[in-house]
Amino acid sequence: MGYFLSIPIMMIAAALQATLLPQIAIFGGIPDLPFLLTLAWALNSPLEEGIVWAFVGGIAKDSLSASPLGTSVIGALLVVFGIHLVRRQLYSVGLFSLIWMTLPGSLIHQGVMLGLVLISPLRPLAPGQGLVSAILQSVTYVILPTIVYNLAFIFPVYWLVRRLQTGLTGGATR
Amino acid sequence: MRTGRSSRLSLIIFSMVIAVGLLIGSQLGILGPLQGLIATPIGVIAGVFNRIGFAINGNLDQVNDLEVARQRITELEDRLAQFQSELVELREVASDYDRLSRLLNYESSRQNEDYLTANVIASDDPNTLLRTIMIDRGSRDGVTRGMAVVTDQGMLGRVLRVAAGASQVLLITDPSSAISARLQTSRTQGSVVGDLSGNLTMTFIPLTAQVNVGDLVMTSGLGGNLPSDMVLGQVTSVQQFESELYQEATIRSLNNFDTLEIVLIVTNFRPVDTSTFDDNNALDAEQ
Repeated sequence: MGYFLSIPIMMIAAALQATLLPQIAIFGGIPDLPFLLTLAWALNSPLEEGIVWAFVGGIAKDSLSASPLGTSVIGALLVVFGIHLVRRQLYSVGLFSLIWMTLPGSLIHQGVMLGLVLISPLRPLAPGQGLVSAILQSVTYVILPTIVYNLAFIFPVYWLVRRLQTGLTGGATR
Repeated sequence: MRTGRSSRLSLIIFSMVIAVGLLIGSQLGILGPLQGLIATPIGVIAGVFNRIGFAINGNLDQVNDLEVARQRITELEDRLAQFQSELVELREVASDYDRLSRLLNYESSRQNEDYLTANVIASDDPNTLLRTIMIDRGSRDGVTRGMAVVTDQGMLGRVLRVAAGASQVLLITDPSSAISARLQTSRTQGSVVGDLSGNLTMTFIPLTAQVNVGDLVMTSGLGGNLPSDMVLGQVTSVQQFESELYQEATIRSLNNFDTLEIVLIVTNFRPVDTSTFDDNNALDAEQ
């Protein structure tokens, strides 16, 4: 059921990401809702479900984006794999574990997307702009604000996802 | 256990291959139609959210206009204060107009009498044992002692003292006031007197007379001191005493004596001077 549920949820999340969430942008950063949903879902679900959520979320987001289809998928998949590796060491998901997952997860996800965008022909470097300068600007104006937002939004998103999961499986996930 | 781990690894590799394949296919333009297909339903949802976003933005713009609106409110409040002041003045004028028009109607209904309008300049007597008011008309205006003072609600009293520009009016509620009266319906005669409580009592009503609560009490004109058929009040209760030869009725004046502002003086009624009869009696006695 979690597989299919990802489709409407991620469609709505991608639509929100493209419309309403830019209203609260700090510099160029906004909360990455499809990524946060994927992360939150992956924390308490089998690997397969996490992968599906990463695919569906990434594709939904990329379909409304100028970036190539799959740009958001690769970073999300890496995070899902990472969560799958470390979550066995977690006794339960709490405040600090959420932060601990979201902070590097967002960094990896955003970093991968930045790398993919930088190597794609969609965003050529401006004349006289070095690669380091382009990365620093992206980190300052987009990635850092996005990470801050993700850290703030992961809590309500995780609460919502847990309620959904509990409703679907009675909490017998993982 | 080992199979599970390898299958997971296979899954991870497989998914990564698909993701990279998507990326490459998209870069090559192969997945354009698929991307369009996926984007269509999400675009519909996004359109809905966009409209919501516009609505929210519209409201936010209104919030941004708050400062301008506040300045405007301050300006309008200043103007409102100015208009309120004018409104108070105009209400006073309207109130005066209403009172005067009522008095005018009253005047019209009593064509045989001439009236002089007067403003009440003192609504109560400094001596609390008396019930008088002071008006701004005096001998200069033709006011003489004994003239009746009325409102559209009925009789108020009589001019007691006259100065050049002002007069003092003894109210019918004063204990010293006694007015010849009659009940409108039964034409029964009596005398209306006041007391310090502000009530009016109609005395000397024959025991045989039928007095009903609500009957109007008018001036009778007997004695020649006041014009007839001026309303004094309405009967609110009737008292009969076995030991008395007459019955009494408590009267409530229709006037509110505490809020008098404009009154009418009946100027063409001259109290009959009965002193000549006294003089004639004195002459007869001498003869």
